[in-house]
Amino acid sequence: MKQKMDVLQGTLALMILKTLDVLGSLHGYGIARRIEQISGDLLAVNQGTLYPVLLKLEQEGAIASEWGASENNRRARFYRLTPAGRKQLRAETRDWEQTAAIIARFFEVKAEDLS
Amino acid sequence: MRSLRRFLTRLGNLAANRQHEERLKEEIEEHLALQTSENLRAGLPPAEARRQAMLKFGAMEAIKEDVRAEGRVLFFDTAMRDIRYALRMLRKNPGFTMVGVLTLALGIGADTAIFSVVETVLFRPLPFTGSDQIVRVESTKDGAPINPNGSGRLGGPSAMDMRDFAQSNHSFENMAVYDIWRKNVSFGGQETEPDQMWVGLVPGAYFQILDVKPVIGRLFTPDESVLCKCYIAAISAQLWNTRYGGDPAILGRKININDEPYTIVAVMPDVIPEWMESRAVQIWTPFAFADAEGDMWTEASRGGGGFSSLARVKPDVSIEQAQADLATIAARLAAAHPIDRGIGVALEKLSETRAHDLRPMLFLLMGAVSLILLIACVNLANLLLARNSAREQELAMRAALGAGRGRLVAQLLVETLLLSLIGGGVGLVLARIGVTSLARMHPDNLPQLASIGVDWRVLIFTVVVSLITSLFFGLGPALTAARLDAVNTLKLGSRSGTAGSRARRMRNVLVVVEMAMSLMLLVGASLLVQSILRLERQQLGIRQDHLLTGHFYLPGVRYPDRGAITRFSDRFADKVRALPGVLEASVTTIYPPNYNWTQMLDIPGHPATRMQDVPSAKFGLTDAHFLRTLGIPLIRGRDFAASDSATSPPVALITQALERKYFSAEDPIGQRIHIGPPQFLHIPPGANITDSADVTIIGVIGDFRNNGLASPPEPQIIVLYSQHPLVNYGFKDIVIRTAWSPRLLLPEITSQLHAMDGEMPFAQVRTIDEIVEQQTGSQRFTTLLLGLFAAAGLVLAAVGIYGVVSFLVAQRRRELAVRVAVGASAGNVLWLVLKEGLQMAALGASMGLIGVWATQKLINGLLFGISPLDPLTFAGSALFLVAVVMAACWAPAWRAARVDPCMALRAE
Repeated sequence: MKQKMDVLQGTLALMILKTLDVLGSLHGYGIARRIEQISGDLLAVNQGTLYPVLLKLEQEGAIASEWGASENNRRARFYRLTPAGRKQLRAETRDWEQTAAIIARFFEVKAEDLS
Repeated sequence: MRSLRRFLTRLGNLAANRQHEERLKEEIEEHLALQTSENLRAGLPPAEARRQAMLKFGAMEAIKEDVRAEGRVLFFDTAMRDIRYALRMLRKNPGFTMVGVLTLALGIGADTAIFSVVETVLFRPLPFTGSDQIVRVESTKDGAPINPNGSGRLGGPSAMDMRDFAQSNHSFENMAVYDIWRKNVSFGGQETEPDQMWVGLVPGAYFQILDVKPVIGRLFTPDESVLCKCYIAAISAQLWNTRYGGDPAILGRKININDEPYTIVAVMPDVIPEWMESRAVQIWTPFAFADAEGDMWTEASRGGGGFSSLARVKPDVSIEQAQADLATIAARLAAAHPIDRGIGVALEKLSETRAHDLRPMLFLLMGAVSLILLIACVNLANLLLARNSAREQELAMRAALGAGRGRLVAQLLVETLLLSLIGGGVGLVLARIGVTSLARMHPDNLPQLASIGVDWRVLIFTVVVSLITSLFFGLGPALTAARLDAVNTLKLGSRSGTAGSRARRMRNVLVVVEMAMSLMLLVGASLLVQSILRLERQQLGIRQDHLLTGHFYLPGVRYPDRGAITRFSDRFADKVRALPGVLEASVTTIYPPNYNWTQMLDIPGHPATRMQDVPSAKFGLTDAHFLRTLGIPLIRGRDFAASDSATSPPVALITQALERKYFSAEDPIGQRIHIGPPQFLHIPPGANITDSADVTIIGVIGDFRNNGLASPPEPQIIVLYSQHPLVNYGFKDIVIRTAWSPRLLLPEITSQLHAMDGEMPFAQVRTIDEIVEQQTGSQRFTTLLLGLFAAAGLVLAAVGIYGVVSFLVAQRRRELAVRVAVGASAGNVLWLVLKEGLQMAALGASMGLIGVWATQKLINGLLFGISPLDPLTFAGSALFLVAVVMAACWAPAWRAARVDPCMALRAE
């Protein structure tokens, strides 16, 4: 279980950043729901795993948080993207697209193409 | 950059820890509340809605832990917790901790102590600048080193040869020939008694070569050094401080050496180590004083080697080049002077003369402590393995509660680390004690050990080694433990059994290795002990007990003619013989076991035209009481008699070895031989290396040791000093056979001497027994250490096997109980367990013997009269090891035999 999460951590951070980029300020549950909605059943992630990543991003300065009122009208922690986070998101998106493109090309290559 | 920022934030978090916990709790609570209400909206009943929300959230504690890990500085936090926890574990298992710490401490302590010695003797740079270029020039004869007194020191060239070397070479900055003499010294003023001290007869170049500059004063000039007998002296700073209170006006004051006043011209710093001259030299006078007979610088003395030498090779010249340069000159000298035929030179770096005869002993001890360190590490590994398999349950529980594998391993490693550090600390204490006691008990003939101290580099090295080993051995078990299948282990419950079988096999292998290594130590120690016993029981060829020896010197100032020397010596011996408790006494220049005056002879029927054919024998000058005093048997002919006097024809006694070598065909008694070099060498009479007299052989006497304890007696010829004025020097020894304990008579004897000459010290007083003991001093030292190591190794191995067998018994409790239940007797069970130990012991013993066989070279040079593969020693040591192992197994086996089947089976 833990190993699986290790693999996901970077991706998860990127998902969080993108979610906050699109939706603005959001609390943990909201982010979790959004990721679930978008990825559907394909991504079986415990919602709790979000929190270490959130803290990490916050400590890196990519996101900031403050208390706000939830839908239940109780105190909840709301996260938003900082300018540094926006820059990081742009950079990581570019990296990710590049990596994806490269991997995709490898999948397209057939044995005859290499000979 | 980003990670730095994270680190700084985390540091800040340290303070805000509590706040974080609160925030996290609240955040998660709200998260769950939101999910629960979502689930409620989806139509789930309240309890189920909450449960689903929690399931979706995941393992609460693990996530909290992750967040915490993210939020804190791992080093300060987790590490501190691990250390706290490890400390608690160590405290709660005092037995394990004690054994672990002591094991390591022993290994580290012994290793550090011995390697400190090795560093001091073998590797520490000499205290002289450019010491790599400083060499000794040694003589070789027919290519083999000349070894004048069996001490391992080589003999140097004669002063004449050295002078020619110094004049013709192209490779040396400076060369010096010098000698060390024992002289009577008094410091002026009435308060100090005269003392015999070692005086260096050196040229100023001696200090220049060593690059030692006077604290105050000046070096001897070249003119003062070799030719003029200038009465000037240099003293050591130590002497300056102890005898003169560091008096700044010391220069110009007088010091009495052999009753002649010398003017102090320099104070030298205390940098010349004692080992360099094999004795502490604190006074130096010009080398010219080595020329007692006034012919040192004539061709007559070219054959008189045996001086010490020192030379500094030019910085851009290699030792090999310098050696080749000298060899060319030596060949030229050999061609020009018959006496130099076959004489060559060899250079030895000064730094290499330091270890010399200690080298084999040091290598052996190094091997031994390495074994001890290995045994200690193996023992520790064993302990850790045992403990971790006993903790399988605990570890499995931790894993089940969500401890990651990394954290489990980290926890175990912190424990190991802590153990190593404590062990290292105690080891340091042990090393200090060890080094101090080594320095204190260093025998007189190991002055190299005088300056030994704990070497920090060695300590750090050993601690790191033991850390690495314990990590290496700790990591294996830790990983194994962490890899455990939690479910299976827990399910097995307390029924210990299958899971640890791999670890158990590993432990058995370790114990076998341990036993093999301690057997090697055991064999080594017992071989050495036997060698020493044999060496000390060597028949000297004399009656060894109750013999006291002492040295006195008659300075030429007051005893200018040889008749006076004879009269004084005879009268002293007479007075001593008259003392109650004295049975016999003899003034002599020789006594067993060592003696180093070798004399060329000219024996009829043994014509020699080449240097190597010249007959030679050990040469001694005594009075007529020599045989009776030492108890040397007269085989044939007659002993010296009172009638053999200065005016009667010279007579000689020869040993059987000499008879065998040169008189195989005819009876030596009555034969006349010439003491001195044969004609063809063209050595003028009167040269100080030779006596040049004809003697008649009057008797053959038994052989006695005259070349050290370990070598067979060499041919020996003895003459009366009264009949050989040319070589009747002021150096005299007296050997006294006493009826009582020899030391009791010392005050009487000394006062007799002082009654005759109040200025004459009675020096170097020892019994023959003590001399023999001293000669085996370095062997005793080695043996003592090796014995200690063997004992330590054996104890460690016993602890190891005890642990393994105890563990085995605990694991097989159930099986043993069943056996007892179905009718096995206590004896059967006992044997079952003992057999296990016996098998390992047998295996360990055979491996150990193979080890001894493989490393026999290490010890061979130190043995005397016993083979390194002595079967009796092998068998005895192996049996002893087996006995120790059996003893160690006995307790657990006994426990096993008394297993109560009902209790044991119910406990499961």
